[in-house]
Amino acid sequence: MRPINLISLLLFLAAIVWVLTLSEKTVQQVHATYYSMVSPFLKSGSSIERRAQEFIKEVEHSKNLEKQVSLLEKNLGTLQVYKNRFHELEKENSELRAALHFKERTRFNVITARVIRRNPSTWWKTAIIDRGQESGIGVQVPVLSYGGLVGKIDQTTEGMSTLLLLTDEACQVSAKIEDTPEVGIVSGIRGKIGQESSLKLRYLSKEAPITKGMKVYTTGRGGLFPPNVLIGTISAYESGSFDGIATVTPSVDFKSLNIVFAITDQ
Amino acid sequence: MSSLHEARILILPLTFLCCAVTVNVPAMLFLAFISGIFWDLSQYLYCPPVEHSLYQNPVETMRFGYSCLLFALMGFGMFGIQPLFREGKWYFSALLSGFVLFLYLIVDFGTLTFVRGEPVFPRQLFHQMLLSALISMALSPLIFFILYKLAAWSRYTISYEGLKKSHAKK
Repeated sequence: MRPINLISLLLFLAAIVWVLTLSEKTVQQVHATYYSMVSPFLKSGSSIERRAQEFIKEVEHSKNLEKQVSLLEKNLGTLQVYKNRFHELEKENSELRAALHFKERTRFNVITARVIRRNPSTWWKTAIIDRGQESGIGVQVPVLSYGGLVGKIDQTTEGMSTLLLLTDEACQVSAKIEDTPEVGIVSGIRGKIGQESSLKLRYLSKEAPITKGMKVYTTGRGGLFPPNVLIGTISAYESGSFDGIATVTPSVDFKSLNIVFAITDQ
Repeated sequence: MSSLHEARILILPLTFLCCAVTVNVPAMLFLAFISGIFWDLSQYLYCPPVEHSLYQNPVETMRFGYSCLLFALMGFGMFGIQPLFREGKWYFSALLSGFVLFLYLIVDFGTLTFVRGEPVFPRQLFHQMLLSALISMALSPLIFFILYKLAAWSRYTISYEGLKKSHAKK
């Protein structure tokens, strides 16, 4: 090996050792700086993405219109555009109304946030929301959706936060099964992607009387997640050598997660 | 994207691999360090401590900076056929970048699984890795094109040092 290569390799290894031994606090500071630097790009990227999706939808819509124009009058086609726009507005309106209704009926003080980016990492199941420290969102804050528990805030900066989804293995929640004394820990399943996003509920009794369709709620133990928030329903139960493991179908549709609610005060 | 198994374009690792094959070892290691740091920053998961009495098995995460090592290994992998690249046969490097990316994803997930225990490897994940590597690989000619343009603009010569030596001997 040439001396210059050997020296650079040694320098590289020294740099690696230095980085690997950085304290958690330093890494968080570096990460916060990084996010504060890239957040404008992420937000503009998200809006570009949204515009591109709107553009693609518009193109598809235009193609449909072309077919209609060949069959119908031009005015009818224009009306169709208005109608579609009306549907979009109606959908948005109902979405916002639902959010408002949720805020009114929920027993928690919540902050409504919009998911601006999904799965920015390779293995982690995370999302980025458009609210951060300025809205009073802190680390470890539980996040809900209409259907139930979504996850918790992993990191937060000014203007945005990273949401660790319930489907990630790193998000562990103490859970109980309705009408049974069974209590366990719910977490995501490593490597599960796409439609198969499901959860596993571990540390149940070996002979637990668990049947398909039973609802799973948070226990509130540990003080992180509030009690009695719906997590999902049991889809399978398997008795192991020492304990039982149940598969839970989440009550939240993570594929179409758009608006979420961060609990600011339990 | 569900039909593509949630495959992702790994633009940063791909750009690094394409750059790695055009430079010498010290520059490649420097790029590996910088790329690894940025990659880890974009992937970093805080996972704050929770009540240990309740959550007895906290989920382990990788140390910040470990990607630098993987990137350096990938870079050395690309060096294997650097002579061919320097002779102008960039398509071999393009193919190799896809293969190296696939290996990287396997090693990355394998390391994570090793740290966390309970080895799992669903078929869907294999498809996701394969498609991510293939889609990223498809973009490598574009990256090489940009790099060639940059090299021409900055008058950087991607020369074959081995040939230089043999010519010098003659």
